[in-house]
Amino acid sequence: MLSDVAKLVTMNNADDDLQHRTLAGMQCNLARLIYLASTRDYNSGMYHHEGLSACYGAEQARGALEAAHREVFSILATLPIKKLVNELETYVRVSREEPSGFIHAWQELEPYRVAVPMEVDSTMVELFLSNIRLALEVLRFRQE
Amino acid sequence: MMAAFVFGSVAAFLVVLLVLMNRGDEAKEFASSEPHHQARHESHDSLQPTELAIRIFSRDDREFIALTRSARLQSLYQTERRKVASHWVRRTSREVSMIMHSHRLNSRQSPNLRVSTEAKLFCQYVQLRFLCGLLLFLIQLFSPHALRDLAFYAGKLYQRIGGALPGAAAIDRAVSSGNSATL
Repeated sequence: MLSDVAKLVTMNNADDDLQHRTLAGMQCNLARLIYLASTRDYNSGMYHHEGLSACYGAEQARGALEAAHREVFSILATLPIKKLVNELETYVRVSREEPSGFIHAWQELEPYRVAVPMEVDSTMVELFLSNIRLALEVLRFRQE
Repeated sequence: MMAAFVFGSVAAFLVVLLVLMNRGDEAKEFASSEPHHQARHESHDSLQPTELAIRIFSRDDREFIALTRSARLQSLYQTERRKVASHWVRRTSREVSMIMHSHRLNSRQSPNLRVSTEAKLFCQYVQLRFLCGLLLFLIQLFSPHALRDLAFYAGKLYQRIGGALPGAAAIDRAVSSGNSATL
């Protein structure tokens, strides 16, 4: 019985570990995107994760983080605005910030810009940024 | 005769204007963000151009925004979609130019060039560049949904004409069923 549980918990590689242990615990894809972007160094564009690197080596960890980042971005960039608004609502709730303050900060600072992975399709980036701006405006409209 | 000449001149002028507009916008965008774009073109998980176009011109998004009944939101939506759609058209146009450029370089060294194939390819290239220019013009002048709206309007007009001329609609149905039977 114990060995069965151990088998379930044991991860094959850095991708599985990242997906099942870290990302699965997050409530929405926007939270996953922001988290994954935060593991990337601003200066070098390289991804770092202490835990994953210790288990699977820095190279595997970096690859897993980069692939996951691209995947989550791709999902969010092609989401209809209605669903993106839901994502944003969940993210605001999870962040425990006051919604109007959150919306104001995101509209002013546009922190979602740094959440875009490197070397992705430029039109997809434009679409993502545009949809986030619209989703924020929808949330603001609902607050009024 | 004179009318045909004037019409031809205006059409030629419009074509030149569209091509120039397209080239100007392209050059501007290309110069401002080339390294950025170059890097981003090397994507492995990007959507096909048609899939992207479907997402950009999505009816669901438009209806969702319309449901809010907010003039400000609808105006922002139009502005945002115009920006993304223009970007998509310019990128498509630029990419096809790059493909043609590398094809031209390669074909210079090719010993077995087929004139008919090259001419056909060039015609398709000119056609696509013209379409991109026309799309940019329509997007700037109306909205990214202008073409879809026009198609919808044409459909409504067809229904109206069909309603006003029931005999013609019956003939049309008979022709359609005849065509499908022969296919």
